[in-house]
Amino acid sequence: MDYDKLLTLSSDLGYYLLLSGAEIYRVEESVQYLLNAYGVETGEVFAIPNCVIVSLTAPGQKPITQMRRVPGHGTDIRRMEDLNALCRGLCAQPPDLDRAAEALAETVGRTPHTPVAVELAAYVLLTSAFCLFFGGTARDAFCGGLCGLAVGLVVPFLTRLGTNLFFKAMVGGFCCGLLAAGLTDLGVGEHIDLIIIGAIMAQAPGLVITNFMRDIMAGDMMSGLVKLAEALLTGAGIALGTGVALSLVNAVWGVL
Amino acid sequence: MELFLPCLYAFLACLGFCVLFRISGPGAVLCSLGGALAWLVYLLTGPIMGNNDVIQYFWAAVFLSAYAEVMARVRKCPATGYLLIAFIPLVPGAGIYNMMDAALRGDTQDFLTTGLHTLSIAGSLAVGVLVVSSLVRMQNMLQHRRRSKGGGEP
Repeated sequence: MDYDKLLTLSSDLGYYLLLSGAEIYRVEESVQYLLNAYGVETGEVFAIPNCVIVSLTAPGQKPITQMRRVPGHGTDIRRMEDLNALCRGLCAQPPDLDRAAEALAETVGRTPHTPVAVELAAYVLLTSAFCLFFGGTARDAFCGGLCGLAVGLVVPFLTRLGTNLFFKAMVGGFCCGLLAAGLTDLGVGEHIDLIIIGAIMAQAPGLVITNFMRDIMAGDMMSGLVKLAEALLTGAGIALGTGVALSLVNAVWGVL
Repeated sequence: MELFLPCLYAFLACLGFCVLFRISGPGAVLCSLGGALAWLVYLLTGPIMGNNDVIQYFWAAVFLSAYAEVMARVRKCPATGYLLIAFIPLVPGAGIYNMMDAALRGDTQDFLTTGLHTLSIAGSLAVGVLVVSSLVRMQNMLQHRRRSKGGGEP
């Protein structure tokens, strides 16, 4: 068997699983099962949210290792489920390595993009729902929806430009703060704090901090710490952006 | 009505996240339903647990992970999607924002208070998930062993 191909296949699987937002334990277990299915008992895999390392020792050969860096990514549950199903299939009946690599490429290429309009509608829906959820009125929800629309327009655009996490959170928070303060001053919104809290939920900083706790308690210390840093950075970015926007609006409103 | 409306809003918010995280079809509805039901559990356990929200979050997380495991079995897909999206109404997103906001204002006292509260909510959610997922894992392992033992005998 060509162990180089097996190594590439398994680290590609780990890479794409991480890229689709799978948990660390799922990535490590999937790669481990795949290696075992192809008869490698001495394979090791180590993953943290932005890197995966696979190493194996083929019988009678030198150990080989491959490392893949994983760039900043979102969450794509559909792709993760597809990859999980693929991995199960490969482990149940390991095909020829070339065929397996083709199947992986086919699974990864299969993902159609959500239309932009639908995505924007989702941003509006979730931010206005959160404004109501936190106790806002219908007018607050309307303002929250507008803030969500702004976040939905700006943040994916910045992601495409390859902007870092902190800056993205800051710009998102700035847009929310600017719109929320402007709309409240114009008399459309009623509770500015509820509008802002609802609107920033689109960037989901709370999810990361819960996942950080889960990773730490499950024993994945490294990835837990990476996520904690991510959660604090996102929170600080959003708070900073909102704060700047609010003080700016107050200053302008004071002059007028 | 005061129980129903927040759950409806939680459902709608989860539905929005389903689109962003690319879950479609019946899976999206089930995920969002999980979010709404978890919030209902949070609200219902309030009077029983003496309105201690950290404990309430724990029970909501236990319920939600059990729901996710059941749905994962029924639909034969990983529980991750359910755990991720249905958790969004529970996670302390506002808490982390308030905490960093206090830090930027220079209000150390408020920063520590909200920060510790946020961390304890996140902790109780994580414990809730881990209790259920560890139990499920142990049970899987037990089944697996029994099956491989049974298969070994002719």
